Amino acid sequence: MCGIVGYVGRKEAAPIIVEGLKKLEYRGYDSFGVATLGNGIELVKHRGRISDNAGSAMKLTGKTGIGHTRWATHGAPNDINAHPHLDCSGTIAVVHNGIIENYAALKRQLVSRGHTFRSETDTEVIAHLVEEHYTRTKSLLVAVQDILPLLEGSYALLVISKKEDCIIAARNASPLVIGIGDGELFAASDMTPILEHTERAIFLEEGDVAFITRGKLEIFNQGQPVTRPVELIDWSLEDVKKGGFAHYMLKEIYEQPQAFYNTVRAVNPDTVSSLIDCHPASITIVACGSSYHAGMIFKYLLEGSCGIPARLEFASEFRYFPPPVEGRVIGITQSGETADTLTAIRQAKTHNCKTLAITNVLGSTISRVADMTIFMRAGPEMSVAATKSFTAQLAVMMQIVNLICDKKDDESLLKAHQAIEEVLLMDISDAVALCINAQSVFFVGRGPFYPVALEGALKMKEISYIHAEGYAAGELKHGPFALLSTETPVIAICMPGETYGVMISNIKEMKARGAPVIAIGCENDSEVSEIVDHFIGIPPVSVFVQVLTSLVVLQLLAYHTAVALNRDVDKPRNLAKSVTVE
Amino acid sequence: MQAVILAAGEGKRVRPLTRSRPKAMIPVANRPIIEYVIDALVKNGIRDIIVVVGYRKEQVTRFLNQLEIPIDVVVQNKQLGTAHALQCAESKIHGDFLLLPGDNYIDPHSIARIKDIPNAMLVKEHPNPSNFGVVLLNEGFVSHIVEKPEHAPSFMVSTGIYSLTHNVFQYIKGNDLTDAISAMIEDGRQVLGIPADDWQDAIFAWDLLKMNRRLLSTLTPAREGMASRQTIIQGAVRIGKGTTIGPNTVITGPVVIGNDCTIGPNCCIQPNTSIGSRVALEPFSFIGNSLIMDDSSVGSHSRVTDTVVGERCNLADHTSITMGTGLMEIEDTAILSEFGAIIGDSVQSGPFTRYRNSLVGNNTIIEGCRSLTTRCIPDDSMVI
Repeated sequence: MCGIVGYVGRKEAAPIIVEGLKKLEYRGYDSFGVATLGNGIELVKHRGRISDNAGSAMKLTGKTGIGHTRWATHGAPNDINAHPHLDCSGTIAVVHNGIIENYAALKRQLVSRGHTFRSETDTEVIAHLVEEHYTRTKSLLVAVQDILPLLEGSYALLVISKKEDCIIAARNASPLVIGIGDGELFAASDMTPILEHTERAIFLEEGDVAFITRGKLEIFNQGQPVTRPVELIDWSLEDVKKGGFAHYMLKEIYEQPQAFYNTVRAVNPDTVSSLIDCHPASITIVACGSSYHAGMIFKYLLEGSCGIPARLEFASEFRYFPPPVEGRVIGITQSGETADTLTAIRQAKTHNCKTLAITNVLGSTISRVADMTIFMRAGPEMSVAATKSFTAQLAVMMQIVNLICDKKDDESLLKAHQAIEEVLLMDISDAVALCINAQSVFFVGRGPFYPVALEGALKMKEISYIHAEGYAAGELKHGPFALLSTETPVIAICMPGETYGVMISNIKEMKARGAPVIAIGCENDSEVSEIVDHFIGIPPVSVFVQVLTSLVVLQLLAYHTAVALNRDVDKPRNLAKSVTVE
Repeated sequence: MQAVILAAGEGKRVRPLTRSRPKAMIPVANRPIIEYVIDALVKNGIRDIIVVVGYRKEQVTRFLNQLEIPIDVVVQNKQLGTAHALQCAESKIHGDFLLLPGDNYIDPHSIARIKDIPNAMLVKEHPNPSNFGVVLLNEGFVSHIVEKPEHAPSFMVSTGIYSLTHNVFQYIKGNDLTDAISAMIEDGRQVLGIPADDWQDAIFAWDLLKMNRRLLSTLTPAREGMASRQTIIQGAVRIGKGTTIGPNTVITGPVVIGNDCTIGPNCCIQPNTSIGSRVALEPFSFIGNSLIMDDSSVGSHSRVTDTVVGERCNLADHTSITMGTGLMEIEDTAILSEFGAIIGDSVQSGPFTRYRNSLVGNNTIIEGCRSLTTRCIPDDSMVI
């Protein structure tokens, strides 16, 4: 998914396009670019988010321009692969959202006809194809119409040429909207960049080509002029991006089944086998925040299932320990830009360690620093509190464990998304009611559920601002017991398995101190449900999936508690999505 | 022009299939019913679409999010009635608009017929009118609407699809839209009754099979998965990405199969069958005139006909489901029904189970070798 914006009008195009791209960031943010018709074609493109370094793009001149914000599919995100793409002579610039499926064949033909390609993207073939036809037809509109039948796949395109003051827009199976302003025209992937300028819009249909010039718009389909109705749009910007959900976080919580399923299937077994080639002595995991908790779950599963010793460090603390010599180091970061994790991975490399990065952003810094990278398929995550990226991290790590252990958990991993769907149907309002009046909440668990408790506590404090602590259930009586009272609810994860019996005695101890207990257990477990104040039953499944489902329950608990307390769920105070300072 | 789609109600009469989704989201021919409604609107150039959600709103919203055209979502917190649902969207409606139920199929031509007429409704003759609002017409105009009468005065029923002006909000007094329309007519505003071409409503779960048959009849064939060379495929068959079909399987269209399924070898899939994604059909099984949703599996040597199977079910080997007739008690009324089985979500049934005209609730566990004839098993049961 990428976002595109185009502008033809009386104002300077660059600032309008930059603002528009910022609004499209939810469609992708690994690189961006802007081209305007000023002194010839003026072009700026960069890796990274447009919100972070839009400065150079703002300086472009001209009243016609196009822009693009990218979520990489073909070719890593870097300055060269960022859109817009130019033809050989620099006459034509193209931005594209979608995938050209036959680009490899087209590229071979173009190269054989003498075109030079600069990038690895599928989009660049369009620029060169237009170039060929443009020199013959001298009309950008005709040239674009001529080449569209050659393209297979999906596209929304904007094309400009330095010889004509216009934008040609074309769409096939990717969204494209034309906004009609006062003497100015816009084109964009959706209404978000346009809304602040105009409410009048035309939604192009499949196969439409629009000829956008100063104050004039013509639309063609299969070479024939057509008219499309102008619609009045009055949504607010936030509504469009959240797609009907009250918050990004809730939207992302509900996207978890898909994120998990896609990621489990995307882990490349070759990467895993080269990581653990001759049975390594140990694996070190470095991470921060939620990723650290994911790493801790990995440690439990890896040591428990594969017998490979694992060491887990906060990325920021890694440098204060003697480094592992020639070991394996895994760095986990959603954004791929977390400064602490990057430093740790760089340091590991200087000690001859083999490094693996697990990240959500294709081509992020960490994927260039580490020897190998596994990408999770969570898609862009907007909420500060990590939800679907956390599940996707778990998907990667559970799949690694599964592959090391000869795929014995294949079935439960491929069916895990179903169990998450089940949990999303649950009503947890009673548990929320217990939490909203509390000053502090404790989360306890044992074994792999201890990191789940930590993550649950992190989510709770992050977005509801209620003081929350996660503890290993056995640790509670070595001190924190002093804090328990009738006002401090305890959330205990009590799943059947090796931790079950001793968890029950821990719960009884906490009840004896008067603390209200909410237990998450296996449905139909009458033993636990009888001793606790509130019981949340989840479907009986394997340990891997229990970790996931209990985690989703805790995410929902934190979310609904925060909503009940009227907190700003998507932008909690004092926090940033990706921490790029040490 | 704007359109309001009502998708907040659960659809209790379609239970047990509505546990995790409202009726509008039940997949028929592998697409939720509401998607056909949205498609029909878009084909008429109507893109300003508002969907009122309520029951299981997150599941609906997540689906609407994946659609290419942006949809405005409005939440109705309590499902009080159709008029109340429409009122929830009032602040977003500027002028004339279309109102459609999200859980009925409607063809684009019928919408084209109604969309430019202020105050009109689509009507259709139905053999069992007493389940609907029955409409009396006088020279093309609606003179009376009687909601679910015991003795229907005509066979003409309301499809629930209206073209309305903003004035309708003045007439909404209670929670029911039919009352508001009746009040409008009494007040002298004329409402034109326009016949619909093709309109399908599934009142009871087994009616989904008929809707499935109808929607499959326009299927465009496509082959994205892998079919063995010894597979015989006849008629319109659509096979999704990542699906593998083993040798000696015979598929007779219209049949649609989703993504990542494993079928066969040696299976037989008969016409009017929809199979969702990630479904496993084990060897030597026969399936026809049925609707199988995502993530379910049917064991080897089974026969499944005239059946709806929910998500995540596991029917073990030698399951036999055949058509039967009997009285079903739905919402305290006995209804004459004819089908094989309606199976909710996450049902586990053991080997050699036989079903005839039976309704099985969600999360039910059925031990092997049971025989169910004209039974209605509630949710979370155990049949031993």
